[in-house]
Amino acid sequence: MLVTWKYRPRGTFLDSLDPRSRWITSFLILFAMVPIWHPYVMVGYFCLSMTQFFLSRLTWQETKRVWFFIIFLIVIVIGLNAIITGRGGPGEIQRLEPHVLWERSFNILGATWTPNITVEKIGFGITQMFRMMGTAVLFFIIPWTIDPSKYGVTFSGMGIPYRFAFSMDLAFRFVPTLARDFATTVDSQRARGYEVERLEGGLITQIRRVAPLIVPVVMNAIVNGEDITNAMDLRCFGQDKRTWIGKLQYRTRDYFWIGIGVAVFLGALYLNWGLNLENFFVPTWFYGLFGVVP
Amino acid sequence: MKDSNMWSFGTRQVVYAAIGAALYGVFSWATNFIPLPSVGNVTFRPAVVIPAFFGVAFGPLVGFLAGGIGNVLGDFLSGWGFFWNWSLGNGLMGLIPGLMAASVVSFKDRGTITKAIMYAIGGVVVGMLFASLTEMFTSGIDISTALVGYFTPAAIGNAIVIAVLLPIVMVAYDAVAARSGR
Amino acid sequence: MLDIIKHVHHTPRTLMTAETNALPLSIRDLKFTYRIREQAAIENINLDLHPGELMLVAGASGSGKTTLMRCINGLIPRSYRGKLEGDMRLFGQSLADLTMAELSQQVGTLLQDPERQIVASYVVNEVAFGLENLGLPREEILPRVDEALDYLNIGYLRDRETFSLSGGEKQKVALAGVLAMRPRILILDEPLASLDPASAFEALELFRHLADEGISIMLVEHRVDDVLAIKPDSVFYMENGREMYKGAPDGLMAVADYHRIKLPAEYVLQRARSEAPSVFTPAVGENNGAGPQLLAQFKNVTFRYDKDLPNVLQDVSFDIHTGDIIAILGPNGAGKSTLVKHALGLLKPTSGEVLLQGESTRTKTVAQAAHTVGYVFQNPGQMLFAPTVQEELAFGPKNLRMDAATVTTNVDWAIETVNMEEYRESPPLALSYGQQKRVSIAAILAMRSRLLMMDEPTAGQDYWNYRAFMDSILQMPGFGAVIFITHDVDLALVYANRILLLADGQLAADGPPAKVMADEALLRRCRVLPTSLLHLNLKHLPQTGRLMRAEELAHAIG
Ligand SMILES: Nc1ncnc2c1ncn2[C@@H]1O[C@H](COP(=O)(O)OP(=O)(O)OP(=O)(O)O)[C@@H](O)[C@H]1O
Ligand SMILES: Nc1ncnc2c1ncn2[C@@H]1O[C@H](COP(=O)(O)OP(=O)(O)OP(=O)(O)O)[C@@H](O)[C@H]1O
Ligand SMILES: [Mg+2]
Ligand SMILES: [Mg+2]
Repeated sequence: MLVTWKYRPRGTFLDSLDPRSRWITSFLILFAMVPIWHPYVMVGYFCLSMTQFFLSRLTWQETKRVWFFIIFLIVIVIGLNAIITGRGGPGEIQRLEPHVLWERSFNILGATWTPNITVEKIGFGITQMFRMMGTAVLFFIIPWTIDPSKYGVTFSGMGIPYRFAFSMDLAFRFVPTLARDFATTVDSQRARGYEVERLEGGLITQIRRVAPLIVPVVMNAIVNGEDITNAMDLRCFGQDKRTWIGKLQYRTRDYFWIGIGVAVFLGALYLNWGLNLENFFVPTWFYGLFGVVP
Repeated sequence: MKDSNMWSFGTRQVVYAAIGAALYGVFSWATNFIPLPSVGNVTFRPAVVIPAFFGVAFGPLVGFLAGGIGNVLGDFLSGWGFFWNWSLGNGLMGLIPGLMAASVVSFKDRGTITKAIMYAIGGVVVGMLFASLTEMFTSGIDISTALVGYFTPAAIGNAIVIAVLLPIVMVAYDAVAARSGR
Repeated sequence: MLDIIKHVHHTPRTLMTAETNALPLSIRDLKFTYRIREQAAIENINLDLHPGELMLVAGASGSGKTTLMRCINGLIPRSYRGKLEGDMRLFGQSLADLTMAELSQQVGTLLQDPERQIVASYVVNEVAFGLENLGLPREEILPRVDEALDYLNIGYLRDRETFSLSGGEKQKVALAGVLAMRPRILILDEPLASLDPASAFEALELFRHLADEGISIMLVEHRVDDVLAIKPDSVFYMENGREMYKGAPDGLMAVADYHRIKLPAEYVLQRARSEAPSVFTPAVGENNGAGPQLLAQFKNVTFRYDKDLPNVLQDVSFDIHTGDIIAILGPNGAGKSTLVKHALGLLKPTSGEVLLQGESTRTKTVAQAAHTVGYVFQNPGQMLFAPTVQEELAFGPKNLRMDAATVTTNVDWAIETVNMEEYRESPPLALSYGQQKRVSIAAILAMRSRLLMMDEPTAGQDYWNYRAFMDSILQMPGFGAVIFITHDVDLALVYANRILLLADGQLAADGPPAKVMADEALLRRCRVLPTSLLHLNLKHLPQTGRLMRAEELAHAIG
């Protein structure tokens, strides 16, 4: 079981950015969008995220797993949302007069439940889809586009105390070793007749069956941790100040990239409080699609 | 050596946070290849015992990083991308059981184990609630959807796994801890 | 007990001002008791280390070697709590007055397993780690990293991932990380444990070279015999936490117990003459004179882990019969573990076939093969999980769906065989390494397999323990054949009746020890180095007719 990280250098513009500016801009754009529900702005948000996705030059092959996952999740969640109430987080849709396309009453244990589908719900669902896709796409490219060996320096460069930042680096260092140890443990239990594939017994028994696989790996890792701690202490880990030889440096392009983030953030504030364009609405043409007159 | 302050973060904590994170990441990823028990749409991921255990054994900060970084690593390895709010939620799943770390005297004591399970399930509830509720703001779902669609299946699955596996891991650790005398 | 004589300094606490002609290290009346123990781990220790001195620190397991090293490098009392008494001086300065940062720039430490001390994902970062922690400027760190790498001739590894390095390379990288801090004293705690003989010898020569350049070295090692080859300047021998001998290497032979540590064969030979001969009669393959039966067959096995990777095994063919005690020797990465995993079907050949009692492993599950083949993995920690030894041992038989009565009988038999009755109810995870090793063997024994395979069964155990352990396994009734992988040439020579030499995935030799081991050129090609015991045996071979342990040889040649 050899693990592989998704990152490889692709020589793109995104690659050449300082990881710090990548993080800063991603979060600026995310937070810019939180209060906004305007459908056209959401489409704009989605396009912005997709632009970053295309800049990364990731292929469909590499990312199809995550696309399927996101789309599956979105369909379920939006569907569920529409059936349950159709409201958005802050209750966006309730201000609107519903135009019912389909409705039915069920009698469940004496209570009546009346799910319906309205034009507003459909419109809201589509807006929501752009919003969810936009958010997902904004962030999911990170493992493919930021060098794993840079996380420690990056977070330390963003003001996180270096011990926490170093934990991140150390975790990356342990992953391949522990994956190999896990494979060894699986092998040694199989040599004792344990069949990994066999699912039998009740739920609790089934969950308990993983104990022979995870207990040895965890305990062995903890025992070895003692030596690692010593090795680090013996090389002076824990002084007040620490140098990271992996160097990060903001360049013009990073200021440009952060500038985009700042612009989007300020722009969103202006849309929200300056122009009051934050609210969800259903465009007239959308009602037309269903032959409904609002 | 027991640290007097459960929030202190020295070399030992740096190392165990990293080990916990790597273990959580690797187990989350490895279960892509191993059939897991499931009931309805709830799949039971044995890996979630890791942040809870590292919290109980090494304190809240270690638990938080084990859960948070570990979830990032697991997603990175499996190719799920990066979902920051779920990683923070997983961090809370380790942090909250860590709040009882200071009171542990023996890891195989029945009372301690029960308390650890309570805290860990509390952590599951808070952590998964955090992640589900942030979805309200980032995905625009309403609170009942967040609870039904995200929170309930995640919380039930994780809580059951913890109730079953945490005692086993704690008892095993008790034996290991007896052997090292720091 | 003596109080610590506090040395009061009025000068700044930097080492620049230390007395220029003071010894690198001087220890007086050192005693340490771990917080959780009653008894002192070390006591009454006095020693001096001179510039450029290479000191071998020897002693059986638990004699306090590691504890002594921890006192010198400052982990005691900074990380390990307990009661420390006595006086230790580093270039004339009291150790107690130094901070960890000051101390670790003077004393560098290399621990046993390089895997457990490498903290970075890339070689450059690993070597730079200590200097980064000291907060030196980046411009100063990088040249020092390159200097350390070049000094060990591993500049070409600079940008490699540490995970992908071989054992020997990992060890050099870890050493480079220590040397980059420019220590004046180097502490090496069993640095040879997982290396093949040739790599171990190269590492030893490197240590000798470092000492010749002026670094004072304390080298902890069980393999006294091997270390003597590089002529250490002095020896410090411990038993039960106390000094037993200190001085020139030659004097050690007179005082040390050759049953407890491995001394050069000539000395053992001389001293064993005066003792009663030991009796050792292997019981493997006893089947009431029915003649050898075929247990397993490897037919032209070729294997690679992935289609993008090179072949790890190349056309390997051999048979295993009852009565075989096979030692597999070969360099790190030769494919020994890979080969053995094929017998159980954990790996299936890319081409060729492995037959277990006539049936191909392709048609069997691993669980079915486990009825015939018992495979003991190298590290017991990687399989122990149960709350008691008894449950641990029952795991295998239950998986094989033996009925409850059979499980109980087998478990009882296995516990008795490895002599662990008193630990039946103890948690295996709380046992010492050597005991865990025995539990892991018993866990396999309880499955009653005919063919026992062990991957480096003796690694990490001291000489006394591993001898006792191998003796008892091979005298145990019930096995058709035993196969073990080892880097210890003497182990193969003493216990095996057949040797497989593996190099680059190919079978370089297969035959009785007396024949395979006599070909020194062949051995060296496979990075196996002849030992003093082998030389001695070969000298007397015409008279004895087979290879044997030194004690036995002493009586055989009269
Ligand atoms: N961390 C610890 N806490 C308590 N006791 C310890 C600790 N480490 C070692 N000891 C005890 O101190 C004694 C000396 O052990 P030490 O590890 O120094 O021996 P050693 O000579 O290095 O053995 P080995 O060859 O097995 O490495 C032993 O009795 C051991 O059980
Ligand atoms: N799971 C794996 N995936 C890919 N390559 C592997 C795997 N396991 C081992 N290898 C490679 O196969 C080769 C043979 O490895 P193996 O472990 O069989 O050697 P060995 O002779 O047992 O060495 P050692 O003496 O160090 O234990 C090595 O080059 C190793 O890197
Ligand atoms: Mg030791
Ligand atoms: Mg091997």
